[in-house]
Amino acid sequence: MLTLTHFLVLAAILFAISVLGIFLNRKNVIVLLMAIELMLLAVNFNFIAFSHYLSDTAGQIFVFFILTVAAAESAIGLAILVVLFRNLQTINVEDLGSLKG
Amino acid sequence: MLQNYFPILLFVIVGLLVGVGPILLGWLVAPNRPDPEKLSPYECGFEAFEDARMKFDVRYYLVAILFILFDLEITFLFPWAVVLKELGAFGFGVMVEFIAVLTLGFVYMWKKGALEWE
Amino acid sequence: MSFPTVVFYVLSAILIFAGLRVITAKNPVHAALYLVLAFFTSAGHWLLLESEFLAISLVLVYVGAVMVLFLFVVMMLDINFEKLREGFWKNAPLAGTVGLIMVGEMVLILMSPEASLGSYKGAAPLAADASNIRELGRLIYTTYLWPFELAAVVLLVGMVAAIALTMRKRKDTKFVNPGDQVVVRRDDRVRLVKMAAVKRSEPVAEAESADQQA
Repeated sequence: MLTLTHFLVLAAILFAISVLGIFLNRKNVIVLLMAIELMLLAVNFNFIAFSHYLSDTAGQIFVFFILTVAAAESAIGLAILVVLFRNLQTINVEDLGSLKG
Repeated sequence: MLQNYFPILLFVIVGLLVGVGPILLGWLVAPNRPDPEKLSPYECGFEAFEDARMKFDVRYYLVAILFILFDLEITFLFPWAVVLKELGAFGFGVMVEFIAVLTLGFVYMWKKGALEWE
Repeated sequence: MSFPTVVFYVLSAILIFAGLRVITAKNPVHAALYLVLAFFTSAGHWLLLESEFLAISLVLVYVGAVMVLFLFVVMMLDINFEKLREGFWKNAPLAGTVGLIMVGEMVLILMSPEASLGSYKGAAPLAADASNIRELGRLIYTTYLWPFELAAVVLLVGMVAAIALTMRKRKDTKFVNPGDQVVVRRDDRVRLVKMAAVKRSEPVAEAESADQQA
């Protein structure tokens, strides 16, 4: 019998993996963006699991809107990445220190 | 309800087996003598001048963005179409407004010339 | 173990493997493809939770559109990914500790008797003809009307921002405008000039010298 705990623990593991990814890939902006997508997926997991086990459809609607916002977010994030690469020829986070005082 | 999806699960499993099986078989049965020369790019008579990878043009990216936005629009249209009879004229007006806002973006894109391939 | 439980564990194993590969893959293209696998597996999980419409829209929107965008960007930029890997494992002990602590805490909380999450049994399994999409539609276009219209504005802003940031007109490309070609008139291209005939002074000698030069 599957319980709410199963899904919540899975989402927690997924979230921890993406935090790990942000620690490890701190130089590569593209993989950082992918780790953020993974994080959003873990959050959506929680919403849907609760929506199912509490029989409340509102959770699913939240996930729907999160999907929308996340798509717009990644489109703009990647656009910024493209402009950044065009101007600096790098996507290394450590090279982006020109605003440092 | 979940029983309805059992054929799809079977479909996925069979698809995976058909896809992975030959690869596994080839990996097990085929002779394997790796050599760096087999992987190097071949150009007649001289060393390769540059990397074979080509950069994509930024216009592909613009088309992909347009695709994402209209993809999302379609996913919003699906549930709307299913319940349109219950919603009536009000629901219709709501979707007209939604599409009007997105058309604004489409007009901007068109005017800016992002769809032209030159 | 019931059959859905078996499916859950198999899918979870694939999902966690894919997640780990996303963050450790050497080549970002591989990372993007493993992310596709992760989304696909999650769609399976969401089906187990009886939210079929979101499962299919995850595949449509994420696998079909967003990951294509990621792949385009990875292939568009000419980056030396080897250099970005330097010191990759330097923070691994710290990151591993943080990750393990996070998971440990969550498991302790979720599995503690006080949380009593097991008491949520959820609704009875839906009937074979129950429509998840219909339920969602009823709510989005009535109760959640305002967020729905806001979503349109978010998409509009996303579209305009992405174009404004990345569009640039190339000045060095030559291209033909078919519209201009069609509307062109005879007078734009051909000009007839009337000239009186003139006798050239030494045509023969000039032609000979030109031949010698050639």
